[in-house]
Amino acid sequence: MTMRWRGVVAVMLVLVGAGALHAEDVFDRECVACHIRKKVSLRKAFMNALLVYSGEENMKAGLKYFLRHPRRDSSVMSEAFLDLHGVKEPMTLDDAALDKALDIYWERYRVIGNLR
Amino acid sequence: MSVSKNRATNTFLRSERKSFYRFLALYALLVALLIGFMSYFYYQSQEKLAFSAYRIKLMEYAADQIRQLRYLHDHFPTTSIYPRDERFRSAIWDLEYHEIFSTLEDPRINFEEEIYTTHGRIHFVKILDNYYLGAKYLIIEVPEDPLWSHQIWQTIGLYGGVGFAVLMAFGWFLARLFVRPMRQSILLLDQFIRDTTHELNTPLSAILANIETMDHASLAPQNAKRLRRINIAARTVSTLYEDLKFATLEQEKETEAVVIDMAELVRSRLEYFGILMESKQLTLRTDLRPASLRADRRLIERVVDNLLSNAIKYNRRGGAIEVVLRPGVMTVTDTGVGIASEALPHIFDRYSRFNESEGGFGIGLSIVKRISEHYGITIEVTSTVGEGTTITLRWREVRS
Repeated sequence: MTMRWRGVVAVMLVLVGAGALHAEDVFDRECVACHIRKKVSLRKAFMNALLVYSGEENMKAGLKYFLRHPRRDSSVMSEAFLDLHGVKEPMTLDDAALDKALDIYWERYRVIGNLR
Repeated sequence: MSVSKNRATNTFLRSERKSFYRFLALYALLVALLIGFMSYFYYQSQEKLAFSAYRIKLMEYAADQIRQLRYLHDHFPTTSIYPRDERFRSAIWDLEYHEIFSTLEDPRINFEEEIYTTHGRIHFVKILDNYYLGAKYLIIEVPEDPLWSHQIWQTIGLYGGVGFAVLMAFGWFLARLFVRPMRQSILLLDQFIRDTTHELNTPLSAILANIETMDHASLAPQNAKRLRRINIAARTVSTLYEDLKFATLEQEKETEAVVIDMAELVRSRLEYFGILMESKQLTLRTDLRPASLRADRRLIERVVDNLLSNAIKYNRRGGAIEVVLRPGVMTVTDTGVGIASEALPHIFDRYSRFNESEGGFGIGLSIVKRISEHYGITIEVTSTVGEGTTITLRWREVRS
């Protein structure tokens, strides 16, 4: 492979990589990655939140407040979980991005429409 | 044959009847409202009793369903089949009143009530402590046993109907008590007229007999004029006397139906009233053709007299009276004050006078109506205020 061709391949790889990065949404980027790393199930967290907040709007508002001001007593996770993982750090995402991430979270894990 | 006995006092006058039925209608409305309220509260109490029996069973169903929901919550989405039970149908709704899942036949839910009936079904609304699957409300639906509500309605219908009938019977007597003072005043007036009429007879007969026997030719013109006035006044009083006598004393007498030559009768009554017409300078136009009617002559005389007397009394000075007689039809037209259209339906009421400018007891036309009804004679009245009145009598002509 000539130097010229190597340059073309490198440019293409950079472009594909950038495209792939762009294809990831804010939820994947800001939430999923971290949860995978810490091995904390987003499904489990969702079902725990559902037990407390019940409705869509209520849950999104509750979670948003928690993500901005995380506290042990306002977490939906169990005591055992909090002992093990502690309380998360406050999210630094802007409001629009956080709302978008929560919308995606609800859409991916919601119960309404998924029961038979 | 006799005219209805004591009809004036045994039956209600129009005003009495109106008051009586108005009172009764108001009373019926109040009774219906009372029974309605009582039925409503009775139904509510019986429904509560029935619900208390259902509640225990429905709470058991709800507890079973909550256990199933908890299991599903813990295993979702590995398991996503909503738990169903053959004993009941159910639904879950979230805190924001969005339906999560439902197997209900009637989806209309009243979240304000814990237990209620809806279109033949009973809904039991249970608020969950833990929002499994996000559900705050669990609704259990079972078919309603139609027997209890049927029995309640049967009881309400029976006791409500009996209660209504009893209270209405009570109301009937109450209504009669209500109109009694009005009735007593009518009776008092009747009695007064009866007594007065009786006392009028002798002096009036004496006056008329003496006028008839006087030699008018020998009187000075001034005195003849005075006598003529006395004669007019006496005949006016005589007509009134005849009416009062009929209304209070004679209506119970036996009547005798004969074929009356109406042309002859009308002619003789016109002659009798001639002096009164002259006194008001009325022009008389007659067109009398042979006509006959089977009735008591005395009663038909009362009818004709009253029509002519009114035509004179309510006519203007210098006016006209037209009497037309055809087989089965008699028309009396005057050029008097007329009767307002709103007063027309009441002119035949007893003690009703359609013109306050003239005196009288207001019984003349009520006598006309009573006698006419008795012989099947129909009366038509057309009148224009300020122009005059036409009264038409129609009867079945006697075939010779």
